[in-house]
Amino acid sequence: MSISLRRVTKTYGDYPAILDISLEAEPREFLALLGPSGSGKTTLLRIMAGLEFAERGMVCFDGADITALSVAERGVGFVFQHYALFKHMSVADNIAFGLSVRRRGTRPSRAAIAAKVAELLDLVQLSGLGKRYPAQLSGGQRQRVALARALAVEPRLLLLDEPFGALDAKVRKELRRWLRELHGRMGLTSIFVTHDQDEALELADRVVVMSSGRIEQIAPPREIYETPANAFVFDFVGESNRLPVRIENGEVRFRDIRIPVSPPVGMMGTALLYFRPHDVNIVPADEGISAVVSGIRPRNGHRRVEFRVEGIERILEIDIEREMQVETGQVIAIRPERASIFPAAPPA
Amino acid sequence: MRRQSRWSFGLLVIGFAYLGLFLLVPLVAVFGEALSAGVAAYVDSIRDPDVWSAIRLTLLVAAIAVPLNLVFGVAAAWAITKFEFPGKSILVTLIDLPFSVSPVVSGLAFVLLFGAQGWFGEWLQAHDIEIIFAVLGIVLATVFITFPFIARELIPLMAEQGRADEEAALSLGANGWQTFWHVTLPNIRWGLLYGVLLCNARAMGEFGAVSVVSGHIRGKTNTMPLHVEILYNEYNFVGAYAVASLLALLALVTLVLKSVLEWRYGLDGRTSH
Repeated sequence: MSISLRRVTKTYGDYPAILDISLEAEPREFLALLGPSGSGKTTLLRIMAGLEFAERGMVCFDGADITALSVAERGVGFVFQHYALFKHMSVADNIAFGLSVRRRGTRPSRAAIAAKVAELLDLVQLSGLGKRYPAQLSGGQRQRVALARALAVEPRLLLLDEPFGALDAKVRKELRRWLRELHGRMGLTSIFVTHDQDEALELADRVVVMSSGRIEQIAPPREIYETPANAFVFDFVGESNRLPVRIENGEVRFRDIRIPVSPPVGMMGTALLYFRPHDVNIVPADEGISAVVSGIRPRNGHRRVEFRVEGIERILEIDIEREMQVETGQVIAIRPERASIFPAAPPA
Repeated sequence: MRRQSRWSFGLLVIGFAYLGLFLLVPLVAVFGEALSAGVAAYVDSIRDPDVWSAIRLTLLVAAIAVPLNLVFGVAAAWAITKFEFPGKSILVTLIDLPFSVSPVVSGLAFVLLFGAQGWFGEWLQAHDIEIIFAVLGIVLATVFITFPFIARELIPLMAEQGRADEEAALSLGANGWQTFWHVTLPNIRWGLLYGVLLCNARAMGEFGAVSVVSGHIRGKTNTMPLHVEILYNEYNFVGAYAVASLLALLALVTLVLKSVLEWRYGLDGRTSH
């Protein structure tokens, strides 16, 4: 199923939660809404579900206007951040809930419901746990029950609010891979909210980066990471360093060091250079920015070195190979090899 | 370690002595006095027709007031915790009003409203409706006094539970009633029972407000607490304490049930995380 939002706005009192957002998700797409807390990503998801209603704008499923439909009428699957399992019901009853509350005419028979529950328990790899209560399950198991419960009503759109937020790192990684697989197998359109850029980049077909109720960029993960649309996206989706530079005659310079990056067309004067810790080389003294090593930490396969540059407040974090000898206090010349350039004063 | 245990032992003794002196001894005294003239006299005083009528009236009042406050208490708690609306804090304050006003004042307020010289007095007389010095007045006063018990019990509980469970039920296609019946109610059942119990104990035991509006007509508008006072003022101590012992018994049953509920409640709370 495709979903589209057209010029949706939602405010809480004076506080704008969503500002004039338009967004499309294709059938079978896996979309991530990524942003810091307060960026409006959860509100946007709840508007799609019909748990909140926009003041202005339109929500369409497969081109049909469903803006005014309630959550019960939309037939979407919604997975809540803290699972929201019914704790007085067994796992099987939880999963069966959406089917057993149907009107007599459309309600499947007892046996059909039981078969469906068994099938879903199998799907979420919890066969045999149907008689347990939510309190007797681990966090990861509860999350899978919540998912099975949402899938029981056979939604064509699955919405997940911070689905892994309450889980520890290891379980989170396993569930992530499993969910990706499940999404592919079920042929659903899925949209999930997260504040974790790794999660968004690993899982989604496309990532929607949001801040302050607006969309900053919509693009596939690789594009988001490699060609961020602006400084906010660059900063938010990965580790970043920033240096003030000047652009003159088509060349980018930090003080008198030339940075081998081509500036955006038409940009002149002062600008900000953003680069990732791993996009930096160590170079001979007169070809790079001289920086003082102020800290060294081991990392997977390399070392993370903190540098201070005279006159710059923000510490630079740079990855170097493990074989290289560095000591605290040492002066080294560094040069960003890949970087993005954005205007010095971000547009208000 | 030793020192500490000696200290805590001392504190325990003081605690129990205090409880015994101020709570247990009076309770025992009530039963002792009630039975002082023998079991036969005790049974006789309870079988007195006026006492029977007081018991029936007390049960009737509780049977009306508790279900009413059950419905409105749940409705108020639901509205306050699950929805945003203007005037919410005023509603929360209003719910506490019966707790903060002396029951006598509440009773007098009803007299002012519905008494013969009250605001609606003439109109009520013209339509032949008796409120003050009648059963209806006692019911109204009791409903007023006991309103906060259930709502107060539920508000913090429902506020803590949030809206996610209800939203989940709705998103699965349940209607409002199914959501309430299958999700909200089971989530609050122990707290609700606890509130009902406290509400009932107060409904049966209320003296001040009921005393003002009742008129103390024997066999007609006397509840048990009022009848205890009448008997006592007539120096019928065995009778007064016999009725009082029934009320005390109710208190004991309430306490036992409450402990059972708290135990269950606690069990639920532990396993839900």
